[in-house]
Amino acid sequence: MKRSTESTPNRYPTEKLVRCPICEAVNYDTQSIIRCRRCKELIYKHKQISYHKTLAFLITAAILYIPANVYPILITRQLGTLQENTILGGIIALWEAGSYPVALIILLASVFVPILKFLFISYLLITSKYNMKSSKVDQHKLFYITEAIGSWSMVDVFVVAILSVLIHFSSIQIIPGTGATAFALMVFFTMLSALSFDIRLIKH
Amino acid sequence: MPSHELDNFIICKKCHTLHKKVPLAHDTKAVCRYCDTVIYRNHRDLFNTTLALAITALILLIVSFSFTILTINIKGVNQSLNFASMFIVMFEHHYYFVGIMLGFLVMLFPLIILSSTILLLILMKYRKYPYLVKRLLILIAKLIPWSMIDIFFISILVAMVKLFDFTQIDVDVGFISFIAVLLLDFMIIKRISFNELWINYEEIYRINA
Ligand SMILES: [Zn+2]
Ligand SMILES: [Zn+2]
Repeated sequence: MKRSTESTPNRYPTEKLVRCPICEAVNYDTQSIIRCRRCKELIYKHKQISYHKTLAFLITAAILYIPANVYPILITRQLGTLQENTILGGIIALWEAGSYPVALIILLASVFVPILKFLFISYLLITSKYNMKSSKVDQHKLFYITEAIGSWSMVDVFVVAILSVLIHFSSIQIIPGTGATAFALMVFFTMLSALSFDIRLIKH
Repeated sequence: MPSHELDNFIICKKCHTLHKKVPLAHDTKAVCRYCDTVIYRNHRDLFNTTLALAITALILLIVSFSFTILTINIKGVNQSLNFASMFIVMFEHHYYFVGIMLGFLVMLFPLIILSSTILLLILMKYRKYPYLVKRLLILIAKLIPWSMIDIFFISILVAMVKLFDFTQIDVDVGFISFIAVLLLDFMIIKRISFNELWINYEEIYRINA
């Protein structure tokens, strides 16, 4: 086992220790690949590889965000006529109908959460790349929030699935639109992006 | 500092500040100096209570999957929602990716997490199969970010509000049991600490070996 050269037992070099995301054990940061001393999982790979993976997933997600908003997420078929709703269209319709809280929830979950995730991850990648001076604690908190809010964006996709089952009459039908697949894929890739981010990139 | 001394430390999951662990009295918790996040707890009888909660949650989850969640009525025609119907409708409309995602995120993963937790706690209780216990611990940690039953519940509520003006909505057994699953799940996640489980794992199986 690796031993640190630290002689005074009361001072611990925080920078050289990392948390295992699987078993929460404290591990020495070897600056490259780390296999956790407790769960023996490969918990950190090369920082550069993880940097590029995060970036690649992020770009994929950002590209998918366009069809997710341009294509209808939900189509209403009523007496032979089709009415297509994009995410923004759906929010506006809800707002006009007076369902303000639901309109706000969807606006937050489907529009703001993905944008915030893109911004937060890009910010973390940029600060790590250019060694910008910024609070480590704040950056860790930012990343924690990014991970925590990631799944909220699925709300609209789930709602479409629920409505497609319930509104399934001969006179009126709700069917999912192409936007639903793009949206689900976008959420999937933003989650992959956050999961492949190496928190040691913050420590620099 | 030798490696095993690292066990005396814990890093806050939110702000990544290093803390030295101190012994806790029963039913108390330690919070992070900087961000007030709970970093570890000391629960009396962690195993038996968590096991009971997890078994109840699993039964109720299966109930939620098997029974109707909502029923609506438009002009005398009823239409019901259950978990399987959502999956089927997505496939009928050829939305395979969304269908598969739904199946995994709101059905399969929560089911695997709960049943693995139960199996793990039972095996640890009887001090059996250390390798399997270890794989289960790792599996659960990896699946937790991909379980979306809480988001799914919010989606049900949003869908209900959207339908409220047009139709009468009746909540069914599946809906009630699903709320119970969420509450139990919340209690389990609040109680269970991976750090604690791993420390127990090491203690239990080192004695046997
Ligand atoms: Zn570990
Ligand atoms: Zn903290």
